[in-house]
Amino acid sequence: MIVKRILLVAPLVLTAFLMQSYFWVPTYEEQTKGNPARLTDYITASIGDAGVINPILSADSASSQIESMIFEGLIDRDEQLRFRGRIAKSWEIHEEAYFCVNEEADVPGIGRTGPGDIVRFLERAVRGETSVGARLRATLDAVESIVLIDPSESELNIDIDGPTRVKVSLPHRVKLVLSRVDQDLFKNLEEIMGAEYFNEARSERFIATEPSLLPQSRGAVAAIHAPVYEHNPVITFHLREGVRFHDGHPLTAEDVRFTYEAIINPKSLSPRVPDYEPVKAVEAVDPLTVRVVYKRLYSPALGTWAMGILPEHLLNDKALEQEALRRGRDPAKFGIRQSEFNRRPVGSGPFVFEEWRSDQFISLAAFENYWEGAPNYKRYLFRIIPDILTQEMEFYAGTVDSYGVQPHQVERLGADKRYQSFSGTAFGYTYIGYNMRRSPFEDARVRRALGMAIDVDKIIEFVLYGQGERITGPFVKQTDYYNTSIKPLSYDPEGALKLLSDAGWQRGKDGRLEKDGKKLQFTLITNSGNDLRKAALAVAQDAWKRIGVDVRTDVVEWSVFIQERINKLDFDAVILGWQMGIEPDLYQIWHSSQVDANRLNFVGFKNSEADDLIVRIRQEYDHSKQVEYCRRLHEIIAEEQPYTFLYVGRWTAVLDRRIVIKGKDSRGNAVYRKIRPTKTGNYTFHFNKWIKLNEAPVLLDEG
Amino acid sequence: MQKIITLFFVSVVSFLIIHLAPGKPSQIDPMNPKFTPELVERFKKEFHLDKPLHVQYALFYKDLLVGRTVSWKDNQPVLTKIWERFTNSLPLFIVGTIITWTLSFPLGISSALKRGGAYDRGVTFFSYLLISIPGFFFAYMLIILVVSWLQVPVIGMETFGLSTDSPALSAFMDRLWHLLLPSVLGASGGIAVLSRYVRSQMLEVQDQDYVRTARAKGLSSDQVYYKHALRNALLPFVTMFGLILPGLIGGSVIIESIFSWPGMGRMAYEAILARDYPVILTVNFISAVLVLLGTFISDVLYMVVDPRIRL
Repeated sequence: MIVKRILLVAPLVLTAFLMQSYFWVPTYEEQTKGNPARLTDYITASIGDAGVINPILSADSASSQIESMIFEGLIDRDEQLRFRGRIAKSWEIHEEAYFCVNEEADVPGIGRTGPGDIVRFLERAVRGETSVGARLRATLDAVESIVLIDPSESELNIDIDGPTRVKVSLPHRVKLVLSRVDQDLFKNLEEIMGAEYFNEARSERFIATEPSLLPQSRGAVAAIHAPVYEHNPVITFHLREGVRFHDGHPLTAEDVRFTYEAIINPKSLSPRVPDYEPVKAVEAVDPLTVRVVYKRLYSPALGTWAMGILPEHLLNDKALEQEALRRGRDPAKFGIRQSEFNRRPVGSGPFVFEEWRSDQFISLAAFENYWEGAPNYKRYLFRIIPDILTQEMEFYAGTVDSYGVQPHQVERLGADKRYQSFSGTAFGYTYIGYNMRRSPFEDARVRRALGMAIDVDKIIEFVLYGQGERITGPFVKQTDYYNTSIKPLSYDPEGALKLLSDAGWQRGKDGRLEKDGKKLQFTLITNSGNDLRKAALAVAQDAWKRIGVDVRTDVVEWSVFIQERINKLDFDAVILGWQMGIEPDLYQIWHSSQVDANRLNFVGFKNSEADDLIVRIRQEYDHSKQVEYCRRLHEIIAEEQPYTFLYVGRWTAVLDRRIVIKGKDSRGNAVYRKIRPTKTGNYTFHFNKWIKLNEAPVLLDEG
Repeated sequence: MQKIITLFFVSVVSFLIIHLAPGKPSQIDPMNPKFTPELVERFKKEFHLDKPLHVQYALFYKDLLVGRTVSWKDNQPVLTKIWERFTNSLPLFIVGTIITWTLSFPLGISSALKRGGAYDRGVTFFSYLLISIPGFFFAYMLIILVVSWLQVPVIGMETFGLSTDSPALSAFMDRLWHLLLPSVLGASGGIAVLSRYVRSQMLEVQDQDYVRTARAKGLSSDQVYYKHALRNALLPFVTMFGLILPGLIGGSVIIESIFSWPGMGRMAYEAILARDYPVILTVNFISAVLVLLGTFISDVLYMVVDPRIRL
């Protein structure tokens, strides 16, 4: 019967045909050991594909990993996390400060003064002819020049409660050039110029608006467009000579200026805008000098220049317009975001873009003309393998060179002789946050007691398989901002009960804690999809039940969790995590101005000393002072316990043992060294010098 | 006409569901401290999310019909993306479908004939085993076995790093090899389900008068079952066959993820996670079109199978 035969034979023939292809497929052996080119390829795997490969547009980690290979910034961080020059050879930071002459204020000793007199008065002080306190002396010693600026008038259109025309008429102003940035300049100057001299309310007199504005809007406009005094920090970068883009075009100051302009161009819709919003101007002084002037004090600014520099000649208006016309798009709506550049990027970093197959791989080749010398690897391949288990299989087979080990595998793979393993402390921490607007969390003793009742070490041991560490505050543990003298809360249920009884919570007949007839009862929530948080939730609930707290728990889908619970401040206690940056800027998460709905200080932490420190930290350019403020801030947060800081994870990665660092000795012979991680655990720091050997090497400095 | 009205309602409902569901596009992720509210507003404006829903609806479908929709994730035109993924998923779909829709019939029929026997019980056991154990488990087992025994790569559409200058024939064979595991895996689940249906359908028609008549005429058992009985048992399968068409665009998220296959299912799944509305809605719209097309095709097939049916 023919139908039956077809139904049986067709699939079997098809399958057999597919199976015979086995004999054509290269084995792993042929791909790895049998393939000499394999030793000069570095293959890494990622769960997700990149979105856009353009440093000013991307917001995902896969894209930034590729960008760090193709593009290069003016600076980056070295092994000790200090800034180090890349495209920029060196840089200086100084300050230009301005203030409006106030002829109505009484200056102690000389009374009301005009512009000329105040300049001479300041000059005398700088020369040391006036006796002043030590703080002001230090400030004045930094002053390099004092210049009087004539009154000026300008007009601008802004949009506040509708389109508004603002006329700004500034009086005489004095410009002070300082050799370093000093956030206390005007505060210190008040010592000799009187407390009234820099009265900020005066700025409203310098503006006239059409139509007239409500008082508070008027005040805000005046403060921005006609400030009584302002700090203008200036960063001057000196670029390295001979840095070229992959297409051979030299990289100059114009490219740096262009990159900044591309970011703030509303058409590019760049997520980096907040980083560069404080910039007043970026000037290309000469082809190798860039001057960046800031509107106000903002110390995280230097770090923003680690962002990759774009090639102006490929992305300027003319180039974009041509591309738009070529592709039949409307040039008016065509910006960098629409450009094909994001699929075929050109940068100045150690690797040149080769090919990108969506959801398969991205391949890069070594850039022979890289200013620091071409990397040892000939190719960098970024495979997209969405499944962790398949990634692991490919790693064992040798077609992927690195593998991010899962916590439960650390013990086994770390001891495996075939691999070298690296581990380090992650930059993100997990915490329990308490809604301090709600009872009983307004009481710091209750928050501390709840923290003491949880055995965090047990969580680390059993939930994280030991791959975690205690953390006591909101700074990255490897930086010096982190105050190591603060000890984590010890596990002490007895002590917790004592603290709670101090706060008025007594155990009732049924063993439950109560105060004025009310039981201690609340709900702890977290988001679904994160098993670690869910496990921590169960541990916390159990620990608190033991001391007589009635805890309910709820696990909510992520977007509902954020929109309905966190953003609307509708929660009692929550388990969440923060990813930290190295910069110690805590404004969004801890400042009291950020406690409203939809802001990130959703626990409602308010502390005036902390507020002051947070602002001082982001205005301080001196590292040692920043460290001092951060440590104090860390102390306050540990004292107040708005969060119970739980843990920061540890990551482990394994590499083939044959991958080593190849360098040259003084006679030009190749020498091989073992890969050693930096102090912060970054093992890829010397990536450009890596190479894979045919045999596992016996290294001189091994052991 | 009726179909166009249906399509319109599908487009409205899917649009509403996606926009009213909680969660925002990842570009306006509110949990990133670097994203200021002003920036989020700007993104909303760019994506037209600040406009009333009906205006958004009109803007989106206008763009879709002229082929201008772009993904929010990477600014690539959505239709190009879908086409690329579609061509990747197509071989998997074709091979899987052929194997499923051929092998299930002899399997189902023979177990119906030998109802209650050891063969039937064996087939039933394996069918339920395949149905009840999740596909990803088999996938992992297969990968581990093949990789550790045969020492050949199985994931992706082709061997990674296969030099581009290798002869066309071996490149083609390499692709075939990578097709084998995922498509056979996909088919095995399908066979398990479909052969069950075939079996029960067959059992139903087995005792009909015309089957007995055919047998009484002295026809061979194959003639009886594959010609007379099968044709009458076929009607429900026609409906099912029409409905596999949307599977073309749905793909299989799990198999594609495990095998790193850059197919449709994975793209749609990632788009949903990132709330990439243009991609989600376009995929949705196309699959609605395919469902309608599928039902149309099965209507036509009905006529072929059963001449008594007229449209």
